[in-house]
Amino acid sequence: MSKSPDFKTALLMSTVLSLLRKDIRLFLRNKVAFGLTFIVPLVLVYIFGQVFGVNRSSSGPTGVPIAVVNESDAAVATAIIEAMEAESAFQVIHTWEDAAGVEQPLTADRARELIRDNKMRFGLVFPPDTMSEERFGLRLIFLNNPRNEIETQTVTGLLQKVIFTSAPQALMTSLKEQAESYIGTAETTAFYDGMARTISDAFDLKYETVRADMEAGVMNFGADDSASEEGKADSADASSFIDQIVAIENEQLAGADVKSPAATRVVGGWAIMFLLFSVSGASTALFEEKQAGIFHRLLASPVSRSHILWSKYLFNMLMGLVQLTVLFIAGQIMFGIEVIPHLPSLLVVALCASIACTAFGMLLSAIAPNPAAASGLATFLILTMSAIGGAWFPTSFMPEFIQSISKLTLVYWSMEGFIAVLWAHKSIFEILPILAVLLGMAAVVNVFSVWRFNRGNLFE
Amino acid sequence: MLTISSVSKSYGSLTALSDVSLDIAPGEFLGLLGPNGAGKSTLMSLISGLKRPDAGSITLNDISTTNGDHQARHELGLVPQNIALYDELTAEENLQVFGELFGLDHKTLRERITEGLSAVGLEDRRKDRVKSFSGGMKRRLNIIAALLHRPKMLLCDEPTVGVDPQSRNAIFELLEKLNREGLTVVYSTHYMEEATRLCSRIAIIDHGKILASGTLAQLLEQLPSAERIRITRSDASLLALPELEALGALVTVDGAHTLAVRAGTQLSTVFQVLEKHGVASAGCTLTRPGLEDVFLHLTGKAFRE
Ligand SMILES: Nc1ncnc2c1ncn2[C@@H]1O[C@H](COP(=O)(O)OP(=O)(O)O)[C@@H](O)[C@H]1O
Ligand SMILES: [Mg+2]
Repeated sequence: MSKSPDFKTALLMSTVLSLLRKDIRLFLRNKVAFGLTFIVPLVLVYIFGQVFGVNRSSSGPTGVPIAVVNESDAAVATAIIEAMEAESAFQVIHTWEDAAGVEQPLTADRARELIRDNKMRFGLVFPPDTMSEERFGLRLIFLNNPRNEIETQTVTGLLQKVIFTSAPQALMTSLKEQAESYIGTAETTAFYDGMARTISDAFDLKYETVRADMEAGVMNFGADDSASEEGKADSADASSFIDQIVAIENEQLAGADVKSPAATRVVGGWAIMFLLFSVSGASTALFEEKQAGIFHRLLASPVSRSHILWSKYLFNMLMGLVQLTVLFIAGQIMFGIEVIPHLPSLLVVALCASIACTAFGMLLSAIAPNPAAASGLATFLILTMSAIGGAWFPTSFMPEFIQSISKLTLVYWSMEGFIAVLWAHKSIFEILPILAVLLGMAAVVNVFSVWRFNRGNLFE
Repeated sequence: MLTISSVSKSYGSLTALSDVSLDIAPGEFLGLLGPNGAGKSTLMSLISGLKRPDAGSITLNDISTTNGDHQARHELGLVPQNIALYDELTAEENLQVFGELFGLDHKTLRERITEGLSAVGLEDRRKDRVKSFSGGMKRRLNIIAALLHRPKMLLCDEPTVGVDPQSRNAIFELLEKLNREGLTVVYSTHYMEEATRLCSRIAIIDHGKILASGTLAQLLEQLPSAERIRITRSDASLLALPELEALGALVTVDGAHTLAVRAGTQLSTVFQVLEKHGVASAGCTLTRPGLEDVFLHLTGKAFRE
């Protein structure tokens, strides 16, 4: 009785499909699993979307790389750059590596290119006319390719903090010199007198103090060093005054037309985390079937271990695909993420992400000795991977050594994929490397899992 | 029909089966009788191809069941020791899943599901989820699920554990009927009454070895004596022991002595000894030997359920 290969393939397909149909039926009947897969993440995405939309995160990024190009000879530029270097939240970058691996000084155009290519996220350019005779004040160009509103806001805020609080002396001195050369010493003194009077009136401060501070180049007019509540309010007011002197031109180099980048991260992050929970839950179903002795019944039928594993794999993949799609469409409804126009690419990314996540779930049931161990391990790994993989906040918020671990997580690459498609509007062709990483991870993990399944006692 | 030759199987250092050989003819109702841990389930798993033996071979009509090939599986039906059903699916859906795996077409499967459910009195619970079933109902469904593809041989691994008497009878009647219609049955159990009632042939298994096999009559013939006398333990009975020991094999278990009277010894001799020591006759019972005695004889220990 030798059967043709076609017949065997058909039989294999029908066996796997029967098992798959059974898994879908069981899933739809399991209200807890259904709720955890769709309802809970929807609610969380909604809540976190609101939170991130309304309150900006107050903790600053640590060591955000920022390309700095100084084309001006103004002393204030050097002073600001020094202050930025002193600020631990920034990692100031002046050079780039060319194809030969040789460090080259950055130019403004090169910085733009790096940012456009996603190699850098932010840049600050001091143009030749940072200080100009034609204009009163400073001119800076802030380059950015934000993945996310929160990140951009935080970086911009930090930059302002550095410029306004750490470099006022240089700024004031430069301004004074500039003013003197522009309008003459006597006039400058008169101008300062007038301005001090205006400031002291406007902010209800003592004229003498403001005038003395101005001469010394101190910018937090009259506030005492004990930093009282009032003092803080004063320096905030002073900052808004400075705001008008320093002109930062914002130059966004990618993702310019996306409505809600933060929402993309929130939805993608929570979706991928819950996908991991769902697949690990579905994989513990393998243990339940083992305990119920169902594998004995199945394996005594014309069903092999690989049929069972394939059907589980397909089921998890499908569930993941549906879950991600549903959550992103909900994201469109709740936050206006542009999902529908990019649906084909998104589906491809979601499929690859599901395949990788399913591999993770299967790995759990391959290595864990029992369901309790599997779910404990799952919770630990999922939370860790989500945190360091950038599901909760951008990876650039984290210390550098964690950022390097991020890239080992499938969460990171899934997020990269979602953001590339929904935020940077990359085509499928452009995101092929990301997809390759996801599928490659899945392949490696699967090979290991199959090896374990064949040695383990899951099917005994 | 089924030939098991010199099969051994170990789990690590534990030998679950050693050098087991057994031939099962078509139409037989073979009982595999042994206490817990004897190796019954292991043997069932090997026959149905779930596990591979370390040594030896098992063939069903000359087709190996242990080489991972699916061919023999269409001829075999396994009723696993655990209830292997999806609790969240209905009786009908469960049977559908398991029937589909044998490649049954939709129409045939529907017919067989109806037929099977009514054979065990579950037709009106067809649309109910299995989790609402009693233990006995689940057991009945567990058997039906192994019959959908009409196997030639049914392997039942302790199919009545934890079952109410009514369900147990329903199961017995179904299996007896199927056996009369030509189905070969291998039935493992640790209940001697079940083996006595159902099986045309009984294989006694303990510690992974088949100790004896044959019809009930053949097994009893192996006993050195036909009669046993059970004597409730008392001061008087203890005094009688030395003399009783000379008359047959004496075993003391749980406050009672059992004397397997040696063949050729007159029962009256035994009673005279008892009377002499003043053992109350109310404490003595004469029993016909049964499988328990066979087991005792073969292993030197009592069969504990
Ligand atoms: N998967 C297994 N791993 C290790 N030991 C096992 C396994 N299955 C059974 N055993 C051991 O093998 C022996 C025979 O078990 P089993 O075949 O289940 O006996 P029975 O069905 O007669 O109660 C027992 O000692 C049991 O503990
Ligand atoms: Mg058993």
